[in-house]
Amino acid sequence: MNRTTRIMFGLLMLAFSSAGFAGADDKCLTCHESIGGKAVDLFKRDVHHAKGISCAGCHGGNAQSDDMEKAMDPKAGYIGVPKGDDISRVCAKCHGDSGRMKQYSSHLPTNQIENLRASVHGKLSTNGKERIVQCTTCHDAHGIVPVKNPGSPVYPLNIVKKCTQCHANAALMRTYNPSLPVDQLDKYRTSVHGMRNAKGDAKVAECASCHGSHDILSVKDTKSSVYPTNIPSTCAHCHSKAEYMKEYKIPTDQFDKFSRSVHGVALLQKHDLGAPACNSCHGNHAATPPGVQSVSKVCGTCHALNADLFSSSPHKKAFDDRKLPECETCHGNHEIIVATNKLLGVTSEAVCSRCHNESQNVKGFATAKAMRGLIDSLESREKRAIALVNEAEQKGMEISEAKYKLRDAHQARLESRTMVHSFNEARFQDVVNKGIVVSASVSEEATQALDEYVFRRVGLGLATLAITVLAISLYVYIRRLERHQAMGGK
Amino acid sequence: MNTFWSRLYSWADERVKLGGLVEYMGKKYVPVNRHSIWYYFGGVSLFLFIIQVVTGILLLLYYKSGELLAFESIQFIMAKVRFGWLIRSLHSWTANLFVLTAMIHMFSVFFGKAYRKPRGITWITGMVMFFLALGFGFSGYLLPWNELAFFATKVGTDIAGAVPIVGKPMMVFLRGGEDVTGATLSRFFGFHVALLPGIFTVFLGIHLLLVQRQGMSEPLSHGDSPDTERKTMPFFPNFLLRDMLFWLMVLNLLAILAVFFPWELGKKADAFASAPAGIKPEWYFLFMFQTLKYIPGKILFIDGEVLGILVFGLAGFLWLMVPFWDRKSSRGETNRLINYVGIFVVFYMIILTIVGWIV
Amino acid sequence: MTSEVGPNGEQETRRGFLRYLLGGGLVASLAAVLYPIMAYLKPPQQAEVEVTSVKAGKVSAMEKESGIIVRFGNKPVILVRNAAGEFRAFSATCTHLDCTVQFRKDMGLIWCACHNGRYDLNGRNVAGPPPRPLDEYRVIIQGEDISISKKA
Repeated sequence: MNRTTRIMFGLLMLAFSSAGFAGADDKCLTCHESIGGKAVDLFKRDVHHAKGISCAGCHGGNAQSDDMEKAMDPKAGYIGVPKGDDISRVCAKCHGDSGRMKQYSSHLPTNQIENLRASVHGKLSTNGKERIVQCTTCHDAHGIVPVKNPGSPVYPLNIVKKCTQCHANAALMRTYNPSLPVDQLDKYRTSVHGMRNAKGDAKVAECASCHGSHDILSVKDTKSSVYPTNIPSTCAHCHSKAEYMKEYKIPTDQFDKFSRSVHGVALLQKHDLGAPACNSCHGNHAATPPGVQSVSKVCGTCHALNADLFSSSPHKKAFDDRKLPECETCHGNHEIIVATNKLLGVTSEAVCSRCHNESQNVKGFATAKAMRGLIDSLESREKRAIALVNEAEQKGMEISEAKYKLRDAHQARLESRTMVHSFNEARFQDVVNKGIVVSASVSEEATQALDEYVFRRVGLGLATLAITVLAISLYVYIRRLERHQAMGGK
Repeated sequence: MNTFWSRLYSWADERVKLGGLVEYMGKKYVPVNRHSIWYYFGGVSLFLFIIQVVTGILLLLYYKSGELLAFESIQFIMAKVRFGWLIRSLHSWTANLFVLTAMIHMFSVFFGKAYRKPRGITWITGMVMFFLALGFGFSGYLLPWNELAFFATKVGTDIAGAVPIVGKPMMVFLRGGEDVTGATLSRFFGFHVALLPGIFTVFLGIHLLLVQRQGMSEPLSHGDSPDTERKTMPFFPNFLLRDMLFWLMVLNLLAILAVFFPWELGKKADAFASAPAGIKPEWYFLFMFQTLKYIPGKILFIDGEVLGILVFGLAGFLWLMVPFWDRKSSRGETNRLINYVGIFVVFYMIILTIVGWIV
Repeated sequence: MTSEVGPNGEQETRRGFLRYLLGGGLVASLAAVLYPIMAYLKPPQQAEVEVTSVKAGKVSAMEKESGIIVRFGNKPVILVRNAAGEFRAFSATCTHLDCTVQFRKDMGLIWCACHNGRYDLNGRNVAGPPPRPLDEYRVIIQGEDISISKKA
């Protein structure tokens, strides 16, 4: 910038506000430099200083005057050190005005202050007068540099420290939300993200990557980027970008797979908040893939019965020895689809056949084959019972009793699916038999109802026949009688 | 064989003097004309009433009144009792056919002006029985305690409650309280199996006695011809056998209806559930129900519904009293007004019933 | 009855045949009417309708910390009595995959055997796969009798 344009610019600025234009003639800085102080040193490195904004830009007053009285006269707009919400208001004077920001050829967004006010930091207050967080809380007051500058307190490698200034301080956090944990930093440092971040990788996720910066919302807010239904897409923001993830050499299709999985469908389509999102298995602040031996514990937090059965089954040791991840080996990880009977047994689609075949692990081969046979038989019997009940119902037969009993067959089938994880034929058979017995009695009742249906029609036919014979003969009888009467009998 | 029957007859005759009755019956003749077909509808109504008595008593063996068990006991009758489905379906179908045949009987009498002197009392007793039959239908409809019946009763008693002055107490009396509850069910059960049958039997007795005493009425146009030209047939056995033939056909029709269209039970009534869509009363109330729907909310300061009810009440009363104000017919003159009124009523009922059914 | 002698034998046989037909038809029709009635009168296997649905039992018959399944129409309802002696009733159909839940005294909660779904005694899903709480039913206690009805 040459001098003329600076003057032009300055005049323009004066016309707009009381904010002082200073440039080379920033008298505030000249005087305060002679007094010395940290703020002055820092401000000289400040991006605002580089853009030609004087101290008076924030503090007010007349930057052109070297008379202290005049320069710091409240009548000239001097406000001293802004306090509380005034701090953010001072920043917003420019940062909330796209016109002004353009004058400084800045392309920064101008909605930060709105976002901040709507955020959990902007809404909460302990003393009722000022918000918890002002712009300076994170960006500092003097010596502000662009976020991409490694010197910035909000630069990815520094931001963790910045956030935890408050968030790791139990005494402070208690004053706002006593139930909020303060161990996020410790957890973060154990995560893959945290470890890489500590090593100087600015690309990995830090606090703001998931929680947002100015627009941080409570996790309970449905619009929050870390609300359960939003988590998958938040994670996918980086993890689905092949280009971005290239150097880490990990797959980038987890989100697509998850979306297709039974969990993804439940969470994203049915909005079942109990369904797991990425963090349910990987952890959030301590995000790391679960270890091979702990998969069943992770899945077991919800699928407890299956996990318990698995852990006490012979497969537990066999899997551990071979370093096979527990649930995942058969069910997959991100793309877990609804388990069907096809998974069980010895056919080529069955997962059992990956380890068990006629020559290898023969005992399991026989068990798998037998179990598949049992569950198929239960399923077909249940289906038959349902079909018979439906048919009887459709024909208008009263069959609510049998229909009620069908619940038990359904329950036995579901229990048997769980019992598969014991990999114990006898226990499995017990549960299956329960269902088979119920299905059989339901089928029998339904069959009886259908027989009754036929019986009613046959009975009606016979009754109609009898009545018709009687009616016709009565008719003939009446005619004969009347013919006799007409002939003169009467 | 014959000796057995004649010995039985003389045994009874010696004790209760059957002779006079048999002689009387033997001399009874039924006029034969082109309207004779209508004479059978009275008899078939009687037959249907008898079926109702029989099936009703049978249902009583297993039915349990009360909110807790009414629905379940009907379910039990339909599912667990042998032929329970048949008895219940018969009872429901017969109820509807009974109202229908009684209605046909009533209109045939009306158009034939058979209510004219000396048959005024017969007409009145018949009309009372018709109203009682509607009462049977209304009270019986609730007894299975299913959703539709529950709400239909609610609406029905609400309408009764809209009548000025007497309406509210009447509604409370019918419901046995402010609302349709288990108390209403107990009450309707009492009406249906004790109160109404008792009253009905008295009127039926008078009605049948009068019919036997006075014989069948003939249309006015036939009254002029001399006695010798009138065609008749003996009541016994000719007319009675024809009656039987008709009854047999009706019985068979009922059996077919019961087997192929078993009466639905629906869902158990739940006072807290919202009313299901398409609540409709039984078809014979439908024309009134539909009319009340079409009456605007307010007509000259009077509530539309109240006006509708009053008009129906008045019309019913005039209809009941027709023998007393139709003096022309009693004098043997042709009264065209009666025909026009009757035709209007028939068409009105048919059209609004159809509209109510479709809408 | 009329008992005239017919003009010839052929007519005689026809009359005889008609009589048989009339008699036979009458007997068969009577049978068709009476058979269902007699069968109806015969007491059924289960002699009377069971007290089901809403009547759930007696207060004294239920210990504290216990639960029973009651049939409510075509759905099971679980009636539980907590340690404080209060009664609560919930739909016994697990919200996960429609199994029937049960009361577990050792756990002090309502438990589903199929996938270890757990609900607290307020019906809230507290662990395992169930996505929703159990629907609550109303418990009405009149003297000694407990009855259950649907919530408004």
